[in-house]
Amino acid sequence: MSMLCDPALLVPVVGAGVLVYLAVLPLFMLVVGSFQAEVAPREFVYTLKNYQAAYASQYTYSTFMNSIIFAAGSSALTFFFGATLAWLVERTNTPLRVVFLPIAVVPLVLPGVLEAIGWIFLLSPKFGYVNVALMYLFGLESAPLNVFSLPGMIWVHSVGQVPLAFLMMVAAFKSMDPSLEESALMSGANTLQTLRRVTLRLLMPTSASVLLILFVRTLESFEAPALIGIPARIYVYTSEIYLAFNEYPPDYGRGAALAIGLLALSAAGVWLYTRSTREGKKFQTVTGKAFRPRQFDLGPWRWFGFGFLTVYFLFVVLLPFLVMLWASFLPFFATPSWAAIQKLSFENYTYLLGFRPFWDAMQNSVILAILSATVAMVLTSLIAWIVYKSRLPGSWILDFLAFVPITIPGIVLGMALILLYVAFPLPIYGTIWVLLIAYVTRYIPYGMRSASGSILQIHGELEEAAAASGASWWETFKRVTLPLLRPGIVAGWIYICIVSFREFSTSVLLATGESRVLSILLFNMFEQGQVTVVAAIGILMILTLLIIVGLFYKISGRVGIQA
Amino acid sequence: MRSKSTAIGLVLLFCALALPRPAPAQTETIDEVHKKALKEGGALNCYCTLAQINAEKIFPEFEKRFPGIKVNHVDATADQLAARAITEARGGKTFGDIFQGALENLVQVHQQGLILEKLPPEAAEYPSNLKGSYWLGNNYVIFIGAWNTEKVKKGEEPTSFDDFADPKWKGRLIAEPRDAELVIGLMHKHNSLEKARAILTKIAANNVEFHKGHSPLAELLVAGQGAACFTCYSHHYPRRIKKGAPLGYFLTEGIATVSPTAVFKGAPHPNTAWLFARWAASQEGQKVYALGGRTPAHPKVEPKEKIRPAKIYAVGADDIKQFAKYEKIWKEIFKLR
Repeated sequence: MSMLCDPALLVPVVGAGVLVYLAVLPLFMLVVGSFQAEVAPREFVYTLKNYQAAYASQYTYSTFMNSIIFAAGSSALTFFFGATLAWLVERTNTPLRVVFLPIAVVPLVLPGVLEAIGWIFLLSPKFGYVNVALMYLFGLESAPLNVFSLPGMIWVHSVGQVPLAFLMMVAAFKSMDPSLEESALMSGANTLQTLRRVTLRLLMPTSASVLLILFVRTLESFEAPALIGIPARIYVYTSEIYLAFNEYPPDYGRGAALAIGLLALSAAGVWLYTRSTREGKKFQTVTGKAFRPRQFDLGPWRWFGFGFLTVYFLFVVLLPFLVMLWASFLPFFATPSWAAIQKLSFENYTYLLGFRPFWDAMQNSVILAILSATVAMVLTSLIAWIVYKSRLPGSWILDFLAFVPITIPGIVLGMALILLYVAFPLPIYGTIWVLLIAYVTRYIPYGMRSASGSILQIHGELEEAAAASGASWWETFKRVTLPLLRPGIVAGWIYICIVSFREFSTSVLLATGESRVLSILLFNMFEQGQVTVVAAIGILMILTLLIIVGLFYKISGRVGIQA
Repeated sequence: MRSKSTAIGLVLLFCALALPRPAPAQTETIDEVHKKALKEGGALNCYCTLAQINAEKIFPEFEKRFPGIKVNHVDATADQLAARAITEARGGKTFGDIFQGALENLVQVHQQGLILEKLPPEAAEYPSNLKGSYWLGNNYVIFIGAWNTEKVKKGEEPTSFDDFADPKWKGRLIAEPRDAELVIGLMHKHNSLEKARAILTKIAANNVEFHKGHSPLAELLVAGQGAACFTCYSHHYPRRIKKGAPLGYFLTEGIATVSPTAVFKGAPHPNTAWLFARWAASQEGQKVYALGGRTPAHPKVEPKEKIRPAKIYAVGADDIKQFAKYEKIWKEIFKLR
């Protein structure tokens, strides 16, 4: 009995139980569904035909290749931008880097639907602003850029994901003890050699982790494939799943079979990640000694860094935002011209002031964003500790289970949760509580990556010192481990808050009139052609998120290691 | 003896004629239905494809007319609403009260056994081609041709669907990928499926660009993504033109499909659902739909804007039964999935 009351045992058991419920049940619904075929309304038989339909059709090869190219290209491009920006901001003396830190988060704030629309209006070969400008400046006969292509999909998805890579790499850079780098510099290595042979190698686990998440997240993304891929007739796995669920009768079996394929790909990714971090101690840089992350002096190259940040900010962050801002003041979308300028007004904003569904959706979105981020980070901090610091046998299974939801496309997770909760004894279907469960389930992997990326860098000697001084497990976790996890927790909370606020593919099936969130309202109104009102909603969403994130930064600044 | 029997018979006949007859059964009034609906909790779950810009004008009028009832609008495209209803039924429950959307999707929901086989008494005012055993036409969606006036010169404007087969439209057309109704409408126009197929094949040779959603299609047309669109909804254009958008559209002919209303079987609020179905079918309700920007199906209620073409080729219930066949033809012609 006393063993069961021991927090060191109880907490892992309860945490594992919650994780199994959240991660395994939808997976179970998915697996069962992949073997079911509907022979009459609500009459099912078990069969392997769904797998045949999913993997032996005339479209199998093209779907697979498109998905892999899309995921690989997007994750590589995203990581390049994210890691470079994080290094410049956290570890160099690039001018004005402090200003750039909050700005880098802004693309996360744009809902995927809005982002795709913004880039369509910038890079459409017929009327995109960038193409029109380039054709005019260089006297070109045809548009040089086309968003309706696989490179276009990669670009649009990548720029939306850069903040994720940026936040995770910033957390890793912040937590690094610079003594190894200082040793290298003192031994005669220059900045580039130190970066290449010391810094990047120390960051390998985090880098692998980030690339892995980016790859899998791209595979399961829906916005770019739907808004750009389908018009361009470029189909990836999630397009195929969406098509399967929206044909008549909905082919859940084939959709579930495709989702199982995605799960297999990500399971392979988790296995690779587990192998690469097996020797995690070699990469631990947060030790018992006090440290301040070192900044590299780039010399005159710091202006190159400044130029890189500026170009990124202007073209990738500001330009889509400006397009949205411009559109939000128009009665209908138009390219900049004197005639269009004369039509500018606040009509869309005054319309929203009295538009009840907008305020209902805003309330739901804010509540869900804050709650889901908090619940997910508390849960994943505990799970990360169990996986990497406890000696519980089989704890690696929890790491795998925590990662599983990332492999379930949002739309499939929504479907699985409908099937689970529509017949649930508690009447939570159709309320925001089922959305909370969905969001926490969906974002556990991101919280887990943030928390585990930080916890891997904490050497056991700190906790051993606390235990040797008489602290209980809970006191050690609360007063030693948790504060050291702060960078990862803050990064994870911010990310989950933002993506929950803009979550779409799971919400589209679960949200009803009363529980509708802003992303669904946005999509409904975009499908209904109210593009300029959608732009106004997008601007207000961005402002709301910036306020939430700013407040959190201020509050979290008071928590942490005492100097 | 014979005269006595005759007398008794006459007396009995007289009594039968003199006795008061039982009153014939009377239809409940809509206000009586309202009273029953109030006992169900005051919510209506409307699985309706109404655009926000219409719903915000129509539902408040319903709520004002029937105090104590609040509309919970589950807003999505008709195929998504059908998928939602079918999936929820898989879990053994019905959450929707009313389905209002494209007829082909309502047929799908009905095939799953989810729709009540009953029509409101107001259906008597509608012609037979606007109702079935479980559905009643609520509003029309009319396909017409539209164009961007800055991309199409004067004199070049199309006046019929057949005009889009002209090679001059090569690389200049946009359309919605799910509009197989064009096959049916052109078939009715030319009284021949093969002629319809031939015209659409020529249109396909003009390299049509497809974009999902009719309202986004209209916005893309305004922005100049294409010069013209041949699967546009007529009710999308007057409002945009009033705001100064460079658009034109023809009303010489149109292909009409009806968006019907039906009540879910086993609805959580059956009387509330019935109340809405009756109101939406009544002239009173149809006038509200007209003021809300839709093309009402009621034969005695006119739309607010000029959106009804001179000649309409209607997609009827019989056509919908074979919709899968026409959809296959459409997808083959335009190489869609």
